[in-house]
Amino acid sequence: MMALSLAVAVVLGDAGVVTLALPQILRDFNAQVGEVAWVLIAFNLVLALVAVPAARVCVRGDPAAATAVGLICFAAATTVCAVAPSLGVLIAARAIQAVGGALVIVGTLELMVNAMGAERTGVRRWAMAGVAGAALGPVVGGLLTSAFSWRSIFVVQIPVALLALPPALALRGRVARPQENVDTLPDRPHVLANLALALLSAALTAALFLLVLLLVDGWSRSPAAAAAAVTAVPVAALAARPVFRGVRAGTRSEAVAGSVLIAGGLTGLALLPGAELAWTVAPQVLIGFGLGLSVDSLTAAALRDRVPRALHGGWTIAARHGGVVLGLAILTPIFTADLRHAETPAKEAIARLVLDVPLPASTKLDLAEQLGRRLAAERGQVPDLRPAFAAVPEPPTQAAAAATLEVNLEDQIRRAATSAFRTAFLVAAALALLALGPAVGLRDRRPP
Amino acid sequence: MTRLALPLIAVLLVAAVLGIQVAAGGGHYVPLRPANPCVQRPVPPIAPQLEPLAEQIVLIGVNSAACRLGISRERLVLAIAETRSLDPRAAAALRAGLLDAVDRLDREGRLPKVSQLLPQALNQAQIPGIVKTIISNVPASLVDSTIPTAPLLRSTVDELDINRLLSELGDPSQLGSTVQSAILQAALRQILARLTP
Repeated sequence: MMALSLAVAVVLGDAGVVTLALPQILRDFNAQVGEVAWVLIAFNLVLALVAVPAARVCVRGDPAAATAVGLICFAAATTVCAVAPSLGVLIAARAIQAVGGALVIVGTLELMVNAMGAERTGVRRWAMAGVAGAALGPVVGGLLTSAFSWRSIFVVQIPVALLALPPALALRGRVARPQENVDTLPDRPHVLANLALALLSAALTAALFLLVLLLVDGWSRSPAAAAAAVTAVPVAALAARPVFRGVRAGTRSEAVAGSVLIAGGLTGLALLPGAELAWTVAPQVLIGFGLGLSVDSLTAAALRDRVPRALHGGWTIAARHGGVVLGLAILTPIFTADLRHAETPAKEAIARLVLDVPLPASTKLDLAEQLGRRLAAERGQVPDLRPAFAAVPEPPTQAAAAATLEVNLEDQIRRAATSAFRTAFLVAAALALLALGPAVGLRDRRPP
Repeated sequence: MTRLALPLIAVLLVAAVLGIQVAAGGGHYVPLRPANPCVQRPVPPIAPQLEPLAEQIVLIGVNSAACRLGISRERLVLAIAETRSLDPRAAAALRAGLLDAVDRLDREGRLPKVSQLLPQALNQAQIPGIVKTIISNVPASLVDSTIPTAPLLRSTVDELDINRLLSELGDPSQLGSTVQSAILQAALRQILARLTP
């Protein structure tokens, strides 16, 4: 049971596990942000597209066999990801990973319900494993990237995936075929719950993908520091149920509250008053609470009383990962364009500070020359200005003024980067608010 | 009411977090905006040396030129840094701005006397030692009455080839040599003007 839960968490965590590794992948393959985003998009897009067909395979065949095939496919593709010699190979392997992952996800739903002996408990365990994986993925990925390299993210996944293979094989032929349980046509997918899941997933993409890019690229934090900072989301997500136990009042109430919390948290990230990690904690806690309250509740609502279960599990996966792709498709062009537009105000702020700094004109000219070179060399990215200062050795009498200037320029760069992400966070908040529409339309069912 | 409790708590939590962030300046965490170039900026005390004087004239001059062109001082400086040249209109505005700067410093009595600048200028000038010795022995009062600072600087600005100067920004020694040459030419003109009846 634990191995199966871990497999679900690993596959769904894979949707965002490389988020913190993207800057390193970008540098390793000398790629652009738009190209590297496909490492995330390919996985989520293929998972969204094949989740329902994979569920149909499970419904018609043996879920245990489908899970085993999925695990082998996932592990093989993950191995290719770990040794990928180019960005193209990495993206292609990520797509194959998603095909195997889809079989694992929908297959394990049946296996876990079977193992638990109760549909409600099995579905909740499956949904919670997915929430934990999705929330912890970026954190684990960031820590591994920081400690070793982005390739280690995939190396670690291989044994975890293979760990679920023996229990899956052991259940071959012992799990009732879902198709045999019904003598009618499959139920229609739960449109409102799946739509809300898609919109919230799109918004949550921003929370993780954009926040991580802001921390690592915009604020020049290490992947380890960024990973530690974004831990607030999974911790709050896991704490949401016990924290709000006394006021939980059913699916609709939880979905509405979750949407409000996620939208509020994203608005908080758009209105950061400074570039200190501490300012991101409260908005992340709101997002984590929203995630913890809404996603498994909506998943349970989408699956409740609907057969075949694996097919509806496939629909929830398709909705969630389709939402992630939607979020990336909407938000990536917004923040990359805003990052480009942020160049002019950042350069003007830098020019103002250099003009006004109490340093001799000759030192200012040298610094301006070096700073201009750095800005030209790192066009399209948030520049690192430290080498410009290292290239202009000042006499000791000017060191204090130069050091203050360096600190002030870095502050201006962080200000420009932070404001460049503002619109994207606000658009993501709007996506979460849109989820209120379908959430309000849900039938309220009291939690167990 | 029970059904509304959780959404209400969510709204209150969001309001509290956003309230604290807005109160702490959230939404105003943006890069420094360029100052209005048409508003005169305070000038710090100027040491009686060539480099600080030149720097202040350039800073005030760029401000004034940007005001004439209707753009920010920072945008003008960035345009200069990127292209190392200016179109005739911008070059004329920069020259006029530099003249404005000399006028302002003269009006405010901030220009050092030429005799104060002379030792450093002679030290840097590439002229025979004997000439340096002769010039350095001219009494300060005679130097200052023969070559007043403001007319010397105005004449220097008139003498400067703005685009040549900008093209030499990356080479401080060449830049210094060009400026010195312009000052020398202007000083000679001043002296000749005095000597000519």
